[in-house]
Amino acid sequence: MSNPSQRQPLGLKILSNGFLVFWCVVAAFPILWIAVMSFKTPLDAFASNPFVVIAGPNTREMAGGLSILDIVLGLVLIGVLVRQGARWLPRKVEEYAPTPNLAMPWLIGGGAYALVSFILLVLVLPAVLGVLNPLAGPLGNQVIGLTTEHYEAVWIDRGFTRNFVNSMVVTLGVVTVSLTVGTLAGYGLARSDSLFAFWLLVVALVFRALPHSVLVSGYLPYFITSSEWLAPIFGENAPTLYGKPWAVIAVLVAINQPFTIWMLRSFFQNIPSELDEAARVDGCSHFEAFRRVIVPVMWPGVITTGLFSFLLAYNDFLVTSLLLDAQNMTMVPAIANMFNRETTASDEVQAIAAAVSITAPLFLLVLVFQRQIVSGLTAGAVKG
Amino acid sequence: MKLKSILLSGAFAVSASYAAAHCHNEVPIKTISNAFPAYEVLTAAMAECGNVESELDKDHRLKIVDAFSANPSLYHIASITNSTSVPMIDADLLRPLDDLIAAHGPNIGDNMKIKVDGKTMAIAAFANTQHLMYREDILSDLGIAVPTTWDEYIAAAEKIQAAGVVDYPIGHYMKDGWNLAFVFINHYMGEGGEFFNDDWTPSINNAQGVAVLERMAKMATLMDPEYLVSDTTFVTKQLQQGKVAMANLWASRAGAVNDPAESSVAGKIKFGAGLKGSATAGSTIWWDGWSVAKNISDEEAVAAMKMINASLSSDVISANNDAAIWLAAGFTPGEAAQGAFDTAAGGAPNYPMNKYIGSMHSALGSGLAAFMTGDKDAATTLADIEAAYVSDAKEKGLLQ
Amino acid sequence: MKRKTFFIFVGPSVCMMLVFIALPLLSVLWQSFHVTQPIYEQVEVETCTAGLLGSTCVTEMKTRPILDEDGKILTKTTFVGLQSYRNVIEPQKFNAALANGSWTDLMNIRFWAALRFTLFFTLLTLPLVLGTGLMIALAVNNTLQRIKGPVIFISLLPFIVTPVIGALSIRWLFIGDGILTAGLEWWLDRDIAMFAQAWTIELMMYMYRVWHVAPFAFVVFYAGLQTVSQDAVEAAIIDGASRWQRLRYIVIPHLMPLVIFLTLIHLMDAYRAFEEIVGFSASAHVISLQWLTYEFLLQDGTGARAISRASASAILTMIGIAILLGFPLRRVWRDQRGS
Repeated sequence: MSNPSQRQPLGLKILSNGFLVFWCVVAAFPILWIAVMSFKTPLDAFASNPFVVIAGPNTREMAGGLSILDIVLGLVLIGVLVRQGARWLPRKVEEYAPTPNLAMPWLIGGGAYALVSFILLVLVLPAVLGVLNPLAGPLGNQVIGLTTEHYEAVWIDRGFTRNFVNSMVVTLGVVTVSLTVGTLAGYGLARSDSLFAFWLLVVALVFRALPHSVLVSGYLPYFITSSEWLAPIFGENAPTLYGKPWAVIAVLVAINQPFTIWMLRSFFQNIPSELDEAARVDGCSHFEAFRRVIVPVMWPGVITTGLFSFLLAYNDFLVTSLLLDAQNMTMVPAIANMFNRETTASDEVQAIAAAVSITAPLFLLVLVFQRQIVSGLTAGAVKG
Repeated sequence: MKLKSILLSGAFAVSASYAAAHCHNEVPIKTISNAFPAYEVLTAAMAECGNVESELDKDHRLKIVDAFSANPSLYHIASITNSTSVPMIDADLLRPLDDLIAAHGPNIGDNMKIKVDGKTMAIAAFANTQHLMYREDILSDLGIAVPTTWDEYIAAAEKIQAAGVVDYPIGHYMKDGWNLAFVFINHYMGEGGEFFNDDWTPSINNAQGVAVLERMAKMATLMDPEYLVSDTTFVTKQLQQGKVAMANLWASRAGAVNDPAESSVAGKIKFGAGLKGSATAGSTIWWDGWSVAKNISDEEAVAAMKMINASLSSDVISANNDAAIWLAAGFTPGEAAQGAFDTAAGGAPNYPMNKYIGSMHSALGSGLAAFMTGDKDAATTLADIEAAYVSDAKEKGLLQ
Repeated sequence: MKRKTFFIFVGPSVCMMLVFIALPLLSVLWQSFHVTQPIYEQVEVETCTAGLLGSTCVTEMKTRPILDEDGKILTKTTFVGLQSYRNVIEPQKFNAALANGSWTDLMNIRFWAALRFTLFFTLLTLPLVLGTGLMIALAVNNTLQRIKGPVIFISLLPFIVTPVIGALSIRWLFIGDGILTAGLEWWLDRDIAMFAQAWTIELMMYMYRVWHVAPFAFVVFYAGLQTVSQDAVEAAIIDGASRWQRLRYIVIPHLMPLVIFLTLIHLMDAYRAFEEIVGFSASAHVISLQWLTYEFLLQDGTGARAISRASASAILTMIGIAILLGFPLRRVWRDQRGS
């Protein structure tokens, strides 16, 4: 914006920023709203008057609530945490990690940060407020009903932590395998101009178009009886694929391969091939050239692609719900189960609480990786 | 709040340890069942025996047939009903339980046995049906007698609407698909209609079928216009929030509508027998219970039977009296169960246990909505459903 | 790159796709031309069932599958040619509807109704997604540097949220007296039921899809905008090009490959629309092709599936996608040849 001739007329500014405000409201409102609902008793959560839902009179009566002081301090703390998460955290991670773009330091940093935030918000703040509220006079009176009982029910009584761990296993498995396999293939495709490579991409694209419900119901009988038909190969130890997280990981990786190799291929095409050719001239094999020259510069594209794999695996419903048993169930089918069982209204609010809970890690992920997404895409992960 | 929940969970532990006294299990057992609250109770009681993994899944019916066909079976115990028992029995996947019941099943009464050719194939734990739930205050204010037939029900609803007490006097689980088809089946049986000719070709395109559709359309005008997305939970909520005055609803919801924690009209709702059609009761009775896989070892089968027995002990049943209409000893029918018993006394038949009705139910489920939305007239709708049934039954080898 | 090295690089990926996608695809293709049925016999069976008032026994003729000596159900598989396809697209009814020139008759055939919705859904949301995405990208690019971060974060939310949950969260705002419906009722002072007629449900599904996917288009376009050549823009300013002309002749051509990329992805995903139908319980009014397939695959109450028709409908869906993808792919092909 330094160039004066590029300065915008006021009308355009208002129009453009007005549109942006409108969009942000549209984008965030449904999610914020279910977050509000998840803290209310069923009577309030499903009330038709929005102010009743927000104020939650029934909730206040049954379970207590928040005072103005609580709200103000809570918002300040959340604001600080988010701000620090977006600014301070990336700097610290880059400072301490040897190679700033590796995924591991980010995960550890992000996880630790999430844990600290959680402790501050859920354990420390309420304790402090418990002391402050009685001293604050009218500001300490409860004005908004709020209950965390649904969260307690979901995470403690219903053992949702197990689903959380399962989700993490499946998601991390998919991301790791899919990136390893996909990076190799993407690089191979980018450095080959044979017709075969092009047709491979087109076929992969058609594969991506296959309706999942057909694929999955095709797997189900084979997965269940696998110990029988795998017996000639593996003998006694033939595994039952049904219910095994690694079998689901394999399926999700395969389903996700077409998209992954498309993204990575265009990304690698943007890395000048002179780089690895120079390495080859120095006597490296293709693999050495890949490892020494390409691997160090590929992280922006890989992280971006990895995020999409993460979203696919984390959000998947069809595959995980049909191919996993209860012990290995991930979070999304577990929530769908809560909704679809013979539900009472309390069950539904619990399911809403669970839905909000599973959105939280996604928030964190985008918060931390936001810059990488944009820079990875900018560096050419999508070029058609 | 916290204190309360701790106390509650303490109470829970006490009642559960009661059951533990009766059984102790060493053999690893896996169960799969529907996700009803009643199954939460039963599997919790099983868990007290130890070494059991329970999967509560509303999509369990998509898995049980394949899972029981595997050798060894992936689960030892599965929950089945009138309709889901059909493929299990057909494919001979269930273990006859008579010897096991004699040796390890003192809690299994004769009324709970599902027998095929004299062999006990499953153990019914609880029953379910549909019956009238109404706002006693509204009906008595307007001087309306409690309706017993669908026609009286509609007349009562019209009066309530005319009096302007609520916008939409009735709620009904008419969600497109399984529910909508189920409503048709119940009404059609209430009119004394036959679904099939002797050779299993369809016979629903007749005066009774048209009459049922017309009645359903009539009822739709007295319901929230979003009735095609209203499932049982939606209707329960409508009752709880005082938006409807009457509903002919699943008996398993009778507890929830008067639950003060969820209902703003708790205590005002009373129960009556299931509504009747012009010929007989317009409700069907379902049983729901346990079955044991055939492809497991004898040792596992004994352990499974002991566990089923423990889950149906009278302590468990009486401690969770209102979770279902139990068939096991220890159950004292409360006010909420009365409607169900009245429905059964009124001659409600069991939901049929055969394959043809399964295919017909699907055809109705995807074909009826076109009539309700006004895209087709009654006769065309029924003719198209018959055609869909024939094409489906032919593909599945049921019709030649 | 030598052919052998190439195969080593792409091998693992290709193998996974072959095993988990190509094989099932072949089996689906095979099943669409065949019908597998159990062989049934009629037997007299006495059945006793439990009831509230004690058990009841009936003896009746039942159709039961014959089991072989291993206890498996005996089945026979027959080649039926295109019969399953005919059962799905119902050509007689289709011809009759065409002969009458009646759109309503045509829309009463499930396959054609599903095709109609799927095409409308795919093609109507495409420009909306691209347009909204581009507008957000331009607006974010124009706004203050300081608020870009938070705005990008909020904009990405609808995209990252689990689709089932996103659809449900929008549904709760509208269903019954959901707060937005209640708000509309208060504003327009009339009774509104958003889930009672086809067009409102369809509108909500379009809105949901745009809400859910536009952020992806936005972030892709936004990344593209960062690489617009500043030299070209400055040259255009010196030539006196207006803001609109710069957008039209420099920015949009620069973004064109991204438009193709997004179009490909969107066509594939929208043509497979399924979550919307579930999330908005739309099946009474509108269904999509994947829903139709799912409906055939769904076991009926007694555990039987219509696998042949499901396979036929899946193959028809694939053909549809292949045709739609043809248009943008031709362009990619030309670029490939050109480069």
